[in-house]
Amino acid sequence: MIVPFSHVLVVGGIIFALGVFCAVVRRNLIMMVLGIEIMLNAVAIVFAGASLRWQNLDGQTFVLFILAVAASEVAIGLGMIVYAFRRTGSFDPSNFNLLR
Amino acid sequence: MVGFSADISAVTALSVATLLPFVAFLLILIFTRKRPRLSASLAIGAVTVSLACSLTLLGLNLKMAGPVQYSVRLLASSGFDIPFGFLLDQLSVLMLVVVASICFLVQVYSLGYMAGDPGFSRYYAFMSLFASAMMTLSVSPTILQLYIFWELVGLSSYLLIGFWYEKFSATQAGKKAFVMTRAGDVAFFIGFLLLFLHTGNLSIPDLNGPAASATMSPAAHTLAALLIFGGIVGKSAQFPLLTWLPDAMEGPTPVSALLHSATMVAAGVYLFARLFPFFSMSPTAMEIFLAIGTISMLLASTMAIVSRDIKKVWAYSTISQLGFMIMALGAGGYFAGVFHLTTHAGFKALLFLCSGVFIHRYGTNDVYELGRSGARRMIVPTVSIVLAAAALSGFPPLSGYFSKEAIVGSMAGLPNPFWLAAALAGVFLTAYYSFRLIFILLLPRPEKGPPVPASHGPDHGEAGHESGYGVMAWPLIILAAVTVVLGFLGNPLEHFLLKSLPGGAVAAGASAEGAGIAWSHWAALGLAAAGTALAWLEFGRGGAKQIGFVEKIPPLYRLFAERWYIDRFYGLLVNLVIDRGISYICYQNDKKVIDGTIDGLSEATIGSGRIAAFLQSGMIQYRLLVIFAVMVLLSIYFFFQVL
Repeated sequence: MIVPFSHVLVVGGIIFALGVFCAVVRRNLIMMVLGIEIMLNAVAIVFAGASLRWQNLDGQTFVLFILAVAASEVAIGLGMIVYAFRRTGSFDPSNFNLLR
Repeated sequence: MVGFSADISAVTALSVATLLPFVAFLLILIFTRKRPRLSASLAIGAVTVSLACSLTLLGLNLKMAGPVQYSVRLLASSGFDIPFGFLLDQLSVLMLVVVASICFLVQVYSLGYMAGDPGFSRYYAFMSLFASAMMTLSVSPTILQLYIFWELVGLSSYLLIGFWYEKFSATQAGKKAFVMTRAGDVAFFIGFLLLFLHTGNLSIPDLNGPAASATMSPAAHTLAALLIFGGIVGKSAQFPLLTWLPDAMEGPTPVSALLHSATMVAAGVYLFARLFPFFSMSPTAMEIFLAIGTISMLLASTMAIVSRDIKKVWAYSTISQLGFMIMALGAGGYFAGVFHLTTHAGFKALLFLCSGVFIHRYGTNDVYELGRSGARRMIVPTVSIVLAAAALSGFPPLSGYFSKEAIVGSMAGLPNPFWLAAALAGVFLTAYYSFRLIFILLLPRPEKGPPVPASHGPDHGEAGHESGYGVMAWPLIILAAVTVVLGFLGNPLEHFLLKSLPGGAVAAGASAEGAGIAWSHWAALGLAAAGTALAWLEFGRGGAKQIGFVEKIPPLYRLFAERWYIDRFYGLLVNLVIDRGISYICYQNDKKVIDGTIDGLSEATIGSGRIAAFLQSGMIQYRLLVIFAVMVLLSIYFFFQVL
């Protein structure tokens, strides 16, 4: 491996932190889903790096699973966002407090 | 093996030839979609370089002793890897040259044909994608790589059939082509997985060697051969998956010339030739291939007899000629099949391109209409189409004559005379339907022709204009010259091709081609002349009514015009099994089981939510923040053992 594993961890960590920031701070449902996606991908990067570091295919298999889960998550998430937008006419998460 | 320097230059030339059109595809789609002229010059420039490279490779290959193979390993881990590279031998270099030259000619022709179309750039992008995929397919060293590019040419076929996507029939035809070829490809996929399980190896030279059949039982060998043949049936539109090809004529005419007659549909036959030694080790499978080829050949010729749509006649004729090639290969005539593939690519592309000129000028696909509008006044396409039709019917000295004689010769070498009879019947029908069309086109009857059915109005978006005729004429002239000359290259080509086969198969092929030439040769020629004479009697001579003998027998006419009810059968099958069977069950499952469960769950959730609603403020982001904070604290606790 040309790139040291620690660098992969640092990149993954930075991207994960960006994802957390995006999910927590942005007042927009779509941006929140985007943040969650970014976090998932950060984890996938670390998995792929670890797979190469220990020469073990399990990590890459896991990345494929993460991709599938992320795709279905986006499909369901966007569907729910569209529904929520039709109900309330807004993307602001603080408007959705019916469960309270 | 060859010297090191020749090896390197061959690999470089191949990489350039196969990658450059793909680069053009990407550049056009990303950067130059708004600038049609630049897109076209990019695509044509790329394909010109590819053509030059493949001609160089042909020159290099003539001097080479053995095949050149070069591959890199992809996805290498855990003791498994996928080799990706090139296999350059006589057969692949021949296919490469055929594909590159027809691609080049058709792309030049399209400059005139597609001029002014709003999707001009998109068209050239897809054409480049096709050129790249098809050339890589030709030089694939493993079945897996071949399969990947096999699917890519299928994709570009889908995109180009549905090119005029505003037209409902075009999108439907694209979908039909995609689904039907995919049905064959599933069999192909299972077939090579079976091979992989038995031999642990998908490399084409290894499969063609004696080791592959030694490791498999004869039954498994036959099963794998039959399953792989399923892919060939789908791609080359053979029986029973033949009805997608006539519908594919909804695409632009140059697309039909390139993909659906000369190169892509011939990929199936090419795969057959590629794995010929492997297939020929299973006599049962070869017998079945022979039967499938014969059935498709005869069925499609009967359909061509009654069609009024000029492109559909050539489409049926393509199925029929591909059937001829599969018959020849199934009978052991390796050279006959590949030679017919080469000559057919030339003259069938020519037929389509000529028809394209007429359709472009007069805006209709109907042969009678074209004849009445005065199609014969256009000298170059008229002369070319007559030449190409004569080559298709197998008249000397045109290229089709030589290849068809080779096929009939290999049929005559078989012990069972039925195959020879079927091939001769095919020769007769081919001559009949080709010259029926030619006579209707050249000798129109303004008042007497049968009335035009409503469904055959001008339905192509490219209707009547005269522009671009010059740029369209040159490819016609070049292809016509090739059609005249190519047949005389038969003998050198045979020596060139047979070098690439292992010894046993060569002997089998040669013996099949050597025997029985004498009288079957004259019989084929006589029957072609008889077919033409019948066409002259019914469509050509002075008082002829231009009504074929089939049209006088209504039930037979309906059978042929409805494509032997194959489409109806598929429609019924889809309706009964998929619409009313599987999708009904799925619908009920979705409604009762899944929806019921989710409704139940959500009602339970609502109920319990009411109870738990005291506890929260309903602000989701605060909760997210708390979750992350807790997780950070927990990870600090676990990793650093603090607190």
